[in-house]
Amino acid sequence: MQATETFPETDVRTDEELVRIVVGGDVDCFEELIIRYQPRVFGMARKYFRNESDAEDVVQTIFTKTFKKLSSYKGTAPFEHWFMRLSVNTCYDALRRKRNRPEHTISDMLFDDESWQDRLGNIPDANDREGLEEARELVYMVLGQISDRARIVLTLQELEGRSIREITEITGWSESLVKVQAFRARKEMRASVERFLMKEKKL
Amino acid sequence: MKANEIEQQFLKLAKTVQTDERVPDGFPARMMARVRERHALETRSADEQFLRFARNLPTNEHVPYAFEKRIMAHLREWLSPDPLTLWSRMLWRAVAPCLGVMILAVLFSANTPADMSVGQTSGELETVDFETVMLASFDDLEYTW
Repeated sequence: MQATETFPETDVRTDEELVRIVVGGDVDCFEELIIRYQPRVFGMARKYFRNESDAEDVVQTIFTKTFKKLSSYKGTAPFEHWFMRLSVNTCYDALRRKRNRPEHTISDMLFDDESWQDRLGNIPDANDREGLEEARELVYMVLGQISDRARIVLTLQELEGRSIREITEITGWSESLVKVQAFRARKEMRASVERFLMKEKKL
Repeated sequence: MKANEIEQQFLKLAKTVQTDERVPDGFPARMMARVRERHALETRSADEQFLRFARNLPTNEHVPYAFEKRIMAHLREWLSPDPLTLWSRMLWRAVAPCLGVMILAVLFSANTPADMSVGQTSGELETVDFETVMLASFDDLEYTW
């Protein structure tokens, strides 16, 4: 008797296959796409929105928009690129809407116990949830002083380590615009950091 | 002469020497340049430090419980809206065309040439006609009673 080798049936479908199925009418398959991308999208949204409910709102908008526009996905580029582009643009729109409602002032972020620069020198441990939360708040606060476009570029370039070309693909902006925004972002960030330092020195 | 006296005399002499308050050429500019350089260095290092700090912070990719279910429910709701929503959506869509028709009707009636009879303007004629039509039923009532 000949032994037959059995392989586990792999039901891992590619993003593009899933998109085809969803567009074909099987809406339930969209859940698989959500499960696949939601951690990344949440990670990204939390870089731009400090408030958890704001981040949730943006993520929900991103997935709803994706679903509505899914039929316009041509499949010429990987789905991931198309999706990330839509996500970043949705975050940018949400940031612009939120810009009119500033939440904190510089003085809110000055610490009684240690200097601002000392705080920057100590990256909290991954288990220190409170410390991480404070650190994220600090980053959020500094980046909150930068204009929205510049902030998007700075986050993608400096924090996520993406190249100008990648940013161009993600945002859909021209290369020269991305370069200008990158330059402006550094300048604005420097000014923002300087403002914190100056304020601290005055106290 | 005692040592103490020599010391006193020396101090007296030293006091008579005027303080030299001359400033070398370009000294303030040189000093300011150094201060600016120092300030820029401090700031630059602070913003580099900030970037390093932000870059090394772990990304929070935590997903709220059953978030995908929530989105799917929202999408299903969007796919099958209730009849009332559909009806109100249609009504809202009808607003613009209705307004358009209204404006066209107003323009049309304003531009229609008036039918002038001898001695009476069209406005007077319309008033008389309107009264006749409106009061016709009351006239009938008079005859009945």
